[in-house]
Amino acid sequence: MEDYKYLFKVVLIGNAGVGKTCLVRRFTQGIFPPGQGATIGVDFMIKTVEIDGLKIKLQIWDTAGQERFRSITQSYYRSAHALILVYDVSAQPSFDCLPVWLREVEEYASPKVLRVLVGNKVDRDDREIPPAVGEGFSRMNNMYFIETSAKDCSNVDKLFQEIARELIQDANSNDGPVGQQDTTHLDGAAEKSWSESNCCKS
Amino acid sequence: MSVWSTLSDSSFLEMLDSVLSKCDASHCCCGCCAALRPRYKRLVDNIFPVNPEDGLVRSNMDKLTFYSMSSPEKLDRIGEYLAQRVSRDIYRHRNPMVIIAMEAMDQLLLACHAQSLNLFVESFLKTVQKLLETTEPALQILASQSFVKFANIEEDTPSYHRRYDFFVSKFASLCHSNHPEVDVLNSLRLAGLRGIQGVVRKTVSDDLVENIWEPVHMDKIVPSLLYNMQHARPRRISNDDNSPNGLPEEQVDSENGARNIDPSALAENCLRELVGRASFGNIRSVIKPVFKHLDLHELWVPNDFAIYTFRVIMYSIQVQYSYAVVENLMMHLDTSSRSRAKVRTSMANVLAKIIAIAAGESVGPSVLEIVNSLLKHLKQSIMSPIPVDDKEAVTDEKHFQESLISALAEFAYHLPDYQKIEIMMFIIGGTPGTGKSDPENVPAETLLQHMLLKCLLKVSHKYKSTNFSTSLPLTFLDPLLRTSLVQDAYVRVLVQEILHCLLDRHDNRSKLKKPSVEICDLNLAIDKCSRADSLFYKNHGSRILVNLSESLDLNNVTRENIEAIYCTAALICVELATDEMLVDILRWALAVQDVALTNTMLHPKNRLSLHVVAISIVTLASHTMNVTTLVEYSSKVVSARNGSAPHLLNFNESSAESIQQDAISPECLLDFNAIADCMKEAGRDIMGMIPLQGPFNANQRYSWADSSVNQPSSFTDLSNINLDGSESNTSSPGLARRYAEEEVTFEALKKVLAEPVESRREAEYEKRQVICEKFRNTPFQQLVASSQSKGDVLNDTLNQILTRISVMPCGQPELNAVQHNNQSLPHYGNNFPDLFVY
Ligand SMILES: Nc1nc2c(ncn2[C@@H]2O[C@H](COP(=O)(O)OP(=O)(O)OP(=O)(O)O)[C@@H](O)[C@H]2O)c(=O)[nH]1
Ligand SMILES: [Mg+2]
Repeated sequence: MEDYKYLFKVVLIGNAGVGKTCLVRRFTQGIFPPGQGATIGVDFMIKTVEIDGLKIKLQIWDTAGQERFRSITQSYYRSAHALILVYDVSAQPSFDCLPVWLREVEEYASPKVLRVLVGNKVDRDDREIPPAVGEGFSRMNNMYFIETSAKDCSNVDKLFQEIARELIQDANSNDGPVGQQDTTHLDGAAEKSWSESNCCKS
Repeated sequence: MSVWSTLSDSSFLEMLDSVLSKCDASHCCCGCCAALRPRYKRLVDNIFPVNPEDGLVRSNMDKLTFYSMSSPEKLDRIGEYLAQRVSRDIYRHRNPMVIIAMEAMDQLLLACHAQSLNLFVESFLKTVQKLLETTEPALQILASQSFVKFANIEEDTPSYHRRYDFFVSKFASLCHSNHPEVDVLNSLRLAGLRGIQGVVRKTVSDDLVENIWEPVHMDKIVPSLLYNMQHARPRRISNDDNSPNGLPEEQVDSENGARNIDPSALAENCLRELVGRASFGNIRSVIKPVFKHLDLHELWVPNDFAIYTFRVIMYSIQVQYSYAVVENLMMHLDTSSRSRAKVRTSMANVLAKIIAIAAGESVGPSVLEIVNSLLKHLKQSIMSPIPVDDKEAVTDEKHFQESLISALAEFAYHLPDYQKIEIMMFIIGGTPGTGKSDPENVPAETLLQHMLLKCLLKVSHKYKSTNFSTSLPLTFLDPLLRTSLVQDAYVRVLVQEILHCLLDRHDNRSKLKKPSVEICDLNLAIDKCSRADSLFYKNHGSRILVNLSESLDLNNVTRENIEAIYCTAALICVELATDEMLVDILRWALAVQDVALTNTMLHPKNRLSLHVVAISIVTLASHTMNVTTLVEYSSKVVSARNGSAPHLLNFNESSAESIQQDAISPECLLDFNAIADCMKEAGRDIMGMIPLQGPFNANQRYSWADSSVNQPSSFTDLSNINLDGSESNTSSPGLARRYAEEEVTFEALKKVLAEPVESRREAEYEKRQVICEKFRNTPFQQLVASSQSKGDVLNDTLNQILTRISVMPCGQPELNAVQHNNQSLPHYGNNFPDLFVY
């Protein structure tokens, strides 16, 4: 049961109510929970994925979006291999806050962290942020980008799969087997080609 | 040897047993080949019951334990195998089996204190982590329990590579459990808290393992504890002064506690433990997340929780570090300078509440640092531009200032007295002085004076004066006296009140708040004056008195000023009852009366008040010094006033305007010569008065205008005439007056104050000599002539007075004295009242 090849830590951040918890539960449990309550502090989930025959264990830390919990959530950034910054495509304010979030990432996360921008709730018909705008922002800030829906499941698995794939690449390009240790470092300065290539169009 | 043989015998039997039982147990995954499996695996397999509900098979567990203890080299294999089984059972959701496996691991852990435990621990922790990774509350709680057991054992060799990162992260997450069922939620939070407690215990004791004090851990641990404390029953957080003290409010069984323990109580305990273990270098990393949490959860206003938290911290931190908490709080106040005034006020209030706890331990520079920082905030707040029309902002800022002051006072209160004095000197040093200031800044500066002196007053309230030379060293007294002459009347009141606190050793000041001639009613507590006291008086007493009369003579003097100054003088009478003081205070009283009679700039009401002050002081001094003749004299004046001028005995609110200042009949006034005679009669040394006279001149510029320096006399004032009349009547030809030291200006006064007493005395002695020589050697006629030649003004005035005051009932003795003087020159020394007052 412990035969995974890599262990990666993924942290989700973003405004309250953008659907972080729903994304995680969709991915780990395959459900879209009705009446999902606001997260308190930090939630934790685990999921093993298979990439090219390799088992990858993902530790997923789902943080609360409410500002008052920043006192604890920020402490989870540092050890993250990947940070998923989520906004709600149907809520302009959640997009407007992205720069603030990025500043926090700069301050608290490792400089080598893999940064992914996610526009969630694409199933909704009251979209306010066109895909191009989200993508533009991600390119400006050197992030990967993908649009998802926790509700209709689109791109959720892909999101985590791609993250795992990138992290493996980073780990390999760095030569050191990242392995099962908690102290994995990502030293690779891999080009962030993700958003341009395969996964940003939904 | 025999031991080993028995062992193998019994093991053999066990093996048979297990083979037999395995054959029955079809549940076993690979049961059929059990006999071919390694022995440790079979022993492990046997501890699991056929029916999961039956629980751990005890007898087989004993066998496994015995085996592990006797073959410790197998322990890591056993651990590995158990971990594997757990992993598989979790995957298959066979929770009862997971629980049984964990119980077995716990038992092995506790039983085996072998070196090889190290390897077993790896499997053990891996299993615990595995349980924590599940979404099932029961397994997570189980994991926490097992972890705590692990945390409590002492390992022989530290394992440098072991990391607790995951455990801290996960336990912190559990502390925030949001489970829909309250019971489960509580259990999960308790599991998280216990886990954190376990990690802390495991790591703090050993420097070689992971440093738990790293911000990456503390930033998770501290907010988790606070978040749980936040939801405590209101009683815990209640803000009364006796809650939380040094002891936890209730003992929490943190090991295998009952379900109904309150997470908040456990959280508080954890925080106490954590803070108690923090060394000096770690305090910041514990305190910083506290501030962050309080800020983000907006727990400063109201500040009950903040106070509660800091009390917990202060009472559990190692005492010698407690001031570091105060410093950190101060630093946080620094960084919060742009927060709302209400937030800053709350912070300062928290500071006030906890600062006392730190004060006992503060030593050396840290004390002044804290004071300095508080004063800095005070100044900043006062100087900060707030729109005056924003009423709320203005009052909020005011509250902030007050809370800073009370923090300072609270701090000082708990310091030893010598440090209180240090602090007071420090504060007065920071008070904008009497120097020139930018007129733009005057209102702010005055406000700052108010604030700082209020601080000073608060500190001095808590100060217990014993020895004046320590309470009022020159370096403190000087600036204090200087401040007692500033423009702002209220500041001057504050200075006097500070002096009251420092002078009053017998709690008399409340009785001496208002001038009164009913001394006996006051029940004053009076002690004998010690040598140290009289030395203090010799060095500083007269300066203080000079200062008092100067500040009475300021044009914007108020009723409060007069009362406060009276109180200071009265306290000097009581606390420094020396002969020297008596002479000075009598002259002081006369000087006060003189101001009352002559200073037309003063409000009529205040001039009356000064008469009350003068008679009250004379009465008080005559009682404290026990001079019967003076007591009699003063009561005579009192009864005269009772008859014709009762308004000169009490502060009078109403009638002041209507009363004519010049209508006071002489018998109602204190008479210089009469007092001198009383003293003489009582055998008091009047010569003693002489050397200290100099400074008193300052206040007598109205009546003793110095003709020798050709100043035009200002004898036009009727009240002047009145006094001078009674004086001139009796005194020498006025020659001596010409020897007034110098022109009385503020500069001159300052010089007098600044000059060493010695040189002043010398100068005065010389002058005295000159006067004496003059009187000795000059024929009387010549004296008269010279005094006449002085000019007609004086003569005219004298004549005027003499004709106006036709009857002088009290004048008899003085007239005698005049005659006496006129006839026998040799007595000049004692009898020329001029010498008293030049
Ligand atoms: N239509 C739609 N609604 C979604 C989607 N994802 C989440 N939601 C809804 O958005 C709301 C908030 O979702 P959460 O997952 O709790 O949001 P969160 O980001 O975890 O919020 P915090 O925990 O407070 O930070 C819930 O009512 C969800 O039902 C989505 O993909 N589509
Ligand atoms: Mg959430």
